[in-house]
Amino acid sequence: MIEVRGLNLFLGDFRVENLNLTLQEGVYNVLLGPTGSGKTLILESVIGLRNFQSGKIIIGGEEIQNFPPERRGISYLPQDLALFPHLTVRENLLYGLRAQKKSPRENENHLSSLIDTLKIGHLLDRYPQGLSGGEKQRVALGRALAPSPQLLLLDEPLAALDPALKNEIQQLLISLHRSLKFTALHVTHDLDEAYLLGDLITVLIGGKVEQRGKREEVFLRPQTVKVAQFLGLRNLFRERVLKVEEEGKSITVSFWGREITLPSHHAAKPLSPGDDVILYLRPEEVMIVREGKPIKESLRQNILAGVVARIMDRGTYQWVLFQLFEQNLHLEIHLPNYVFRNFSLKEGQEIRVAMRRESFWVIPLGEKGGER
Amino acid sequence: MNFRKTAVYAALALFLFYAVLIFSLLTFFEGRSFLEVLLAPDTLFSIRLSLLAATIAMLLAVAIGLPAAYALSRASFRGKKLVDTFLELPMIMSPIALGAALLIFFNTPVGTTIQEKGVYFVFEFPGIVLAQFATIAGLATRLMKTALDEISPRYEAVARSLGSSAWGAFWRITFPLAFRGMVSAMVLCWAKAVGEFGATVTLAGTMSFKTETMPIAIFMALASADIRKTIILILILAGIGLSALYAVRFVEKRPQIL
Repeated sequence: MIEVRGLNLFLGDFRVENLNLTLQEGVYNVLLGPTGSGKTLILESVIGLRNFQSGKIIIGGEEIQNFPPERRGISYLPQDLALFPHLTVRENLLYGLRAQKKSPRENENHLSSLIDTLKIGHLLDRYPQGLSGGEKQRVALGRALAPSPQLLLLDEPLAALDPALKNEIQQLLISLHRSLKFTALHVTHDLDEAYLLGDLITVLIGGKVEQRGKREEVFLRPQTVKVAQFLGLRNLFRERVLKVEEEGKSITVSFWGREITLPSHHAAKPLSPGDDVILYLRPEEVMIVREGKPIKESLRQNILAGVVARIMDRGTYQWVLFQLFEQNLHLEIHLPNYVFRNFSLKEGQEIRVAMRRESFWVIPLGEKGGER
Repeated sequence: MNFRKTAVYAALALFLFYAVLIFSLLTFFEGRSFLEVLLAPDTLFSIRLSLLAATIAMLLAVAIGLPAAYALSRASFRGKKLVDTFLELPMIMSPIALGAALLIFFNTPVGTTIQEKGVYFVFEFPGIVLAQFATIAGLATRLMKTALDEISPRYEAVARSLGSSAWGAFWRITFPLAFRGMVSAMVLCWAKAVGEFGATVTLAGTMSFKTETMPIAIFMALASADIRKTIILILILAGIGLSALYAVRFVEKRPQIL
């Protein structure tokens, strides 16, 4: 297990305060955050390239924060890969083993399986300058993994790639991780990349860990408004808790002048009546009612009538803006293309929409109530 | 006339300017006396002295300048801008002023103690080396810093994460990558040291068969109105310098892979 405990790092006005991070062995961890959130500073601190004010970094029970980078057992893969241009691919691959005085012969099996998995056997005598973008990525991964590091740190390695190559390297990282089970900390600001690769995702905003959990937990159940906003979630409505059942099994929240009762585990934390909250309704979960067909009992209480205010073709889905009748209240709906075609929706068309209780998520507002 | 052509003409004009200067020397050049002057004991001594002193001065400048350049390129420390500015002192200060400053320094109590208990510099061979070192050390550091600046620090970061010590990462990664820039810096500084006159003459004097470097020999020949010898010595000095600088162009053209 790798732990960062109570990390305090001040750089000018930017502060990382009391940061804690636990990386389970063999897990692909993603540190996700917007630009300027402190991701790279934390990464440099873990590698040993940056001094920090206080805190501990523990690998396998041993405190390593005072160790120089070469004694930490952490391989680093920067965005520009930094393949050594004056060394051949073979020399690049062997660099770590030689520097750590590990015999390439003793590590032959590991090396050859790595070379096979990465499909770089035919490149061994070439120099990095002559390699394609994908080949460079493969060699850099091989070089980082050759000495069997305790942790692989990847600093936005896919940020500058075109979509096709990005997809190829993402698939490679997934298969490589499945076969080698290395522990990774992948830093990125890319939501799709984080969702695809991360077994566990830590969301870092303004130097503070806002949320940590499995990918579904983070993306579907944001714990704070900051996380919801960073994830670019739509349909966030400022509402209020009206009622909490005595046994605490359900809460009733206002919603556009109505009431909606939800299971209490659909809230990020226990709430009390009067608490200001953000109600999040997932756009892809909103259903359009097919007139003339019976409606399930569970949906009947949550039906709204209005008009289609706008439609946009987003390629993989249709974006529909629903407006409540004669009110300035809007709801975004993401419809699969085949559903959209079945309804033949047009702007100005009157429709009714239905929402399942399970599609709502309640995020508490901060104490000031102005965190929206 | 388009912009590119104008630029090329400007470069050619500059070349012509310097070429005319060199070729004008040939007006008074006597081919028969070339070997005679070249092989004269005082000329050979001057050449040997210049090459030896310049080589030692250059090696000293690299020995101190390389770590200094590394620090200025990679590290952040208090007073970095001040240090960086002072490196340019020999470039803005006249060599004679630099030599005079050295001479005055060796008349201070500290300087006197150094001479009495250590090495004599004034009017001695070490004085030549010191004068040349003072002239080129800043330049050497600046040029090597530029060479190091071109190498991303991430190479070293990766090398260290893979198990190299700071020294190992520098020696195995940064130095080979900056090698061409380093060699260029060394040769340029060496050539500048070979041609150094002002500081050397002020600190080391003009003693024949003792401190008479090539530039000093030229000065002495001109002072005694020996134009024939002056021209030949200038051509020899220009030949040494230009050969070194031309060789740098080949180093710069070498492929990236060493």
